[in-house]
Amino acid sequence: MEKANEKAYRLHLMVCAGTACVSNNSFGIKDALEKEINKQGLEDEVLVVTTGCNGFCERGPLLVVQPGNVFYQQLEEKDIPHLVEEHFLKGRPVKKLMYKPPKEKSPIPILSDINFFKKQVLIALRNRGLIDPEKIDEYIARDGYSALAKALTEMEPKQIINEVKDSGLRGRGGGGFPTGLKWEFVSKSSTNGQERYIVCNGDEGDPGAFMDRSILEADPHAVIEGMIIGAKAIGASKGFVYVRNEYPLAVSRLIKALEQARGYGLLGKDILGSGFDFDIKIVRGAGAFVCGEETALMASIEGRLGEPRPRPPYPAEKGLWDNPTCINNVETWANVPVIINRSADWYSNIGTKTSKGTKVFSLVGKINNTGLVEVPMGITLREIIEDIGGGIPDGKKFKAVQTGGPSGGCIPAKNIDLPIDYESLTEVGSMMGSGGMVVMDEDTCMVDVAKYFISFTQNESCGKCTPCREGTKAMYEILDRITKGEGKEEDIDLLEDLAKSIKDSALCGLGNTAPNPVLTTLKYFKDEYEIHIKEKKCPAHVCRELNTYTIDEKTCLDVGHGCDLCRKNCSANAISGETKTAHQVIQEKCIKCGVCYDVCRFDAVKVK
Amino acid sequence: MSNESFEPRLVGFLCNWCSYTGADLAGTSRMSYAPNLRIIRVMCSGRVDPQFVLKAFKEGADGVLISGCHPGDCHYQEGNYKALRRHRLLSKMLEQMGIEKERFRLEWVSAAEGEKFQRVCNEFTDEMKKLGPLNLNGGKKNEQ
Amino acid sequence: MVNLTIDGKKIKVDEGTTILQAAEKNDIKIPSLCFHPLLEPYAACRVCVVEVIKKGESEIVTSCNTKVTEGIEVKTDSERAMKARELNVEMLLAQAPDAEAVQELAKDLGIKETRFEVKDPDEKCILCGLCVRACEEVVGADAISFNERGAERTVSTPFGQESEACIGCTACSFFCPTGAITVEDLLGREVIHDELHLGPSSAVRVPIRQAVPMVPFIDEEACIHFKTGECKLCEQVCEKEAVDHDMEDEEVKVEVGSVVLASGFKPFDAKRIQAYGYGRFNNVITALEFEKLVNASGPTGGKIRLANGKEPESVGIVHCVGSRDENYNEYCSRVCCMYSLKFAHLLNEKTNAQVYDFYIDMRCFGKGYEEFYHRLLEEGTKFIRGRVSEITDVAVTEKEEGKLVIRVEDTLIGAMRRIPVDMVVLSIGLEPGIDQNEIARVFNISCSQDTFFLERHPKLGPVSTFSDGIFLAGACQSPKDIPDTVAQAGAAASEALSLADKGTFELEPVTAEIDKDLCSGCQICVSLCPFTAITYNEEEGISEINDALCKGCGTCVSACPSGASQQRHYRDNQIFAEIEGIFIE
Repeated sequence: MEKANEKAYRLHLMVCAGTACVSNNSFGIKDALEKEINKQGLEDEVLVVTTGCNGFCERGPLLVVQPGNVFYQQLEEKDIPHLVEEHFLKGRPVKKLMYKPPKEKSPIPILSDINFFKKQVLIALRNRGLIDPEKIDEYIARDGYSALAKALTEMEPKQIINEVKDSGLRGRGGGGFPTGLKWEFVSKSSTNGQERYIVCNGDEGDPGAFMDRSILEADPHAVIEGMIIGAKAIGASKGFVYVRNEYPLAVSRLIKALEQARGYGLLGKDILGSGFDFDIKIVRGAGAFVCGEETALMASIEGRLGEPRPRPPYPAEKGLWDNPTCINNVETWANVPVIINRSADWYSNIGTKTSKGTKVFSLVGKINNTGLVEVPMGITLREIIEDIGGGIPDGKKFKAVQTGGPSGGCIPAKNIDLPIDYESLTEVGSMMGSGGMVVMDEDTCMVDVAKYFISFTQNESCGKCTPCREGTKAMYEILDRITKGEGKEEDIDLLEDLAKSIKDSALCGLGNTAPNPVLTTLKYFKDEYEIHIKEKKCPAHVCRELNTYTIDEKTCLDVGHGCDLCRKNCSANAISGETKTAHQVIQEKCIKCGVCYDVCRFDAVKVK
Repeated sequence: MSNESFEPRLVGFLCNWCSYTGADLAGTSRMSYAPNLRIIRVMCSGRVDPQFVLKAFKEGADGVLISGCHPGDCHYQEGNYKALRRHRLLSKMLEQMGIEKERFRLEWVSAAEGEKFQRVCNEFTDEMKKLGPLNLNGGKKNEQ
Repeated sequence: MVNLTIDGKKIKVDEGTTILQAAEKNDIKIPSLCFHPLLEPYAACRVCVVEVIKKGESEIVTSCNTKVTEGIEVKTDSERAMKARELNVEMLLAQAPDAEAVQELAKDLGIKETRFEVKDPDEKCILCGLCVRACEEVVGADAISFNERGAERTVSTPFGQESEACIGCTACSFFCPTGAITVEDLLGREVIHDELHLGPSSAVRVPIRQAVPMVPFIDEEACIHFKTGECKLCEQVCEKEAVDHDMEDEEVKVEVGSVVLASGFKPFDAKRIQAYGYGRFNNVITALEFEKLVNASGPTGGKIRLANGKEPESVGIVHCVGSRDENYNEYCSRVCCMYSLKFAHLLNEKTNAQVYDFYIDMRCFGKGYEEFYHRLLEEGTKFIRGRVSEITDVAVTEKEEGKLVIRVEDTLIGAMRRIPVDMVVLSIGLEPGIDQNEIARVFNISCSQDTFFLERHPKLGPVSTFSDGIFLAGACQSPKDIPDTVAQAGAAASEALSLADKGTFELEPVTAEIDKDLCSGCQICVSLCPFTAITYNEEEGISEINDALCKGCGTCVSACPSGASQQRHYRDNQIFAEIEGIFIE
């Protein structure tokens, strides 16, 4: 095994190598840096380190210079020689490569001064941007595996469970079930002399969610350490990490991490000489969102058809191969070592009365600063959207925020001061979910949003129970009609009835929560539905079939001089006119594709 | 003495259960067969003492027939096997004495084989006709 | 015991009972589609949902798999439960409109039509999973499962290809509530006449409808348990615990004084007569198959049907199949003419078919038999005198297309005829059982030339054999019909009984005896006796014969070198006298 770097460097360049930055050529940046550093003869003074996801995905590729916490963003290979020479050789940080908030004059050089990072509290993401995930020594150097040592040598299993209970940690996968309580149930279940199992649910299926991916890619040992502690607490000797197949980088980092942990005697037989045996196997998913549901996940591990089964009995009682099984989410496991190290008291001081600790969110959508954030429970939506997120781009108005992915709901702008915790989100009709947060502005059509999520759940429905299989299909058909201008008066009531019944009678969490986007949009944005149905119009102009495109002839002639760009691009020959004349849309031929609206540089094309 | 008018005198030892019943069947079925065979009934072909055969030849028989159940079907299990063994030994001995082996015959006739009995009887008679009289020296003879 | 309220009724049930079971025990019907009492609950159709109020909180659960708990209040028809149930059924109606079970359920719930899109109006499968679960839980073959996901979900074999795991037990079709899975005969037959498989039958069945005793047996060839080691549903449901798959043959030793042989007959195998096409043509059947067809509790309910399920328009009955035939059996099987007439009569009664009877002689020997024959003549049955030479499906005229043509020499008019018919019934004869010779050997009796058991005397001893204590009854002795069999059986039984009843035992009169004075004790006779009737008396140095055991074969007599052993009535001197007597002039 590679030994940890014992050499001391003057500067460490932490290059973000999370999947997003990688796809944005961050490895190219790394190579360019190393080449330039060698050229400048700095290879004994400056070390380039690739870390996991830094979080500020909007601004990748990213580089943080340590010591000093200097933050560089949106790097291109052509910037590197200048950067190396100026900052790393001559000591003059390069301002033009730093982050400049929109509408501000000067850039902010230090990471911790940037709004995006300021309000974040990193527990699950504690090693973010600071370690190379493929070097176990770096994890150990930052207190890694010390919680494990404490748990194995200084604590009894009951103590560990009580500590986690007292911390108030709740399942971060979406269920929000008190983790310590779950562990207690599992440890107390009878096994008939067989095994108990530990499972890490890394199937992260919500579209666009990447919290778990980032943790697995950036800091796999945090999860592994958590799992070993959990295993000791409940008395398991075998564990599984179920990772979705679409995360190859996470899988390869996990494989490496497990190897390294085994090499150090932190996994396998007689861990740390304590007499405790535990090992972990990786199981890959096969492309089904439903396998994030714990009973379907267990079926998948057992090699059976990936469909859920009714609960009770719960996995804590009857799980893998009918044995008591403790299933927790990636982020939940990542929190465990910190709780053991810093005590339940310290942890429970963060957050609200019912929701302790922090939560990782993937902040995406119509927001300036898209990325991965970890914030304390109780922070308001406003703080996330305006402070951390930097507000809505292009001066648009904030309309709603969708939390919890396809199982969650839309929270309207009027609730922007809502503090985030499990209960408050459920009260307004949404849910915490796994941490997806999609911000929407005035150009978002809420009916379309509902349709999007329903089409996802329809596609991913396993098909076992009638309400989910047929119900999501029925809801989708209705929503589709509405967005095409074929909505009927009865549709709103039918949608609501369907949604409520599906919520009541579906077999598993997927079906139970699939109607949430429909129900919340109906609750808060019923007027949009009615406009779609009665007036056959989409207020956000998203539902193309309902748009009417016209050309303001004055603007076209005076400003655009009849540039003819729209007619050239119209695939339906629905625009009349010639160069230097005012153009017009022939409504009967118009297929409402909106290309003319998109290409017109003079705003002459209007949409209603 | 011409062979055409020669009527052989044949003695048949028939077992009660199979052969005798078979002969009976031939009779009730009105099958015609040569009258030359005189039948002596015994319970089983295994009862036939070689002395009987010798006595019969001595008294003037031109041919002796022993008939019993088919092997495996003997009413008394194995009697017909004994008859078979005796017939083999006795045949050899009779040949030494100048009695052709065709004159001493062993047959298996079952209770259903009326036809077979008729055939055997007729065959035996014809054969003995061809062979001619035995004319054992020193025995009672039918002077022609 | 658990206390709960259901629809306002306070009830008490055992712990572990599900809500559905508890309701059923109390005459409350909760509808369901994917539930079956013999399979683990699957809870997929969500039709059996009910509202359960526990500690003030209400939730909707499926009643088929939710166990009762103390103090809950169950409402099977609350607004919330009904809403869910109705919508689920309405959606199923759109997904599988041709499923009768769903249509009925919809009718019960007052759903007239579905507001949802119908993709396939002929779809019957409601994805209840009963077939998959049966194949997995009951049969243990795991040949089918669900393919695809969500709305594309179907039931199939892996990749829709022929599966080696499938054992063809048709359990999937049996459990399917909507008829979405059907079983097809590879030859496209609706009715299968073959002797063993007249119509579909399960592995547990009564062999024929007139079986005595009327007790089912397990057909090891068809039984799923013997193929996969699973199932055993029959054992599960039998309240009397009468089913035992592990039953083995038992060899029982019974000591008896007399035996009545009634081992029956073997029907003539019509396949041996190739020209008649039995086994080649679907609609050429034997008399026994016709009997099953016509039986009211048989597989077709007594309807006479061709293999394609239609009623025949013309039927030919061929007499003397395998009987009165020097190529097969020369004897007459006695019963065929009468049963053939019976068939003709039934055909006239049950169908409009024209019946042809191909006979050589009409043997109507019994009481009322001739009169019955005349009745048939009046019914319009056509009697053709001649032995059928061939049955063919090669048509020569248009009238013969699609028919079976019977070629026969009509000896009364002296011409070859071709008679086209839809169905041919072969009046097969009776043959001795396959192990007739072996049984005869075991019991020390003989067979006659046709291999039927030989009676002691054709006129005076019809039920006894040459072995004392062995009696004959029925067709093992010769072909006969029921009245004659009954009579013979009664006679055999009474002879057997009288043997036991008499109190005295008749000894063979022709036993052998040993003259003490002449016996030298050489013991040659001892080993020869097949009945172990001779023992050597060590004290006296002589051999002795047990009179009760001696059967009087005389073997010991002819073997005795000293002439000590003599057979009563067949003494040596007596036979010598006989021999002498032959040659007296």
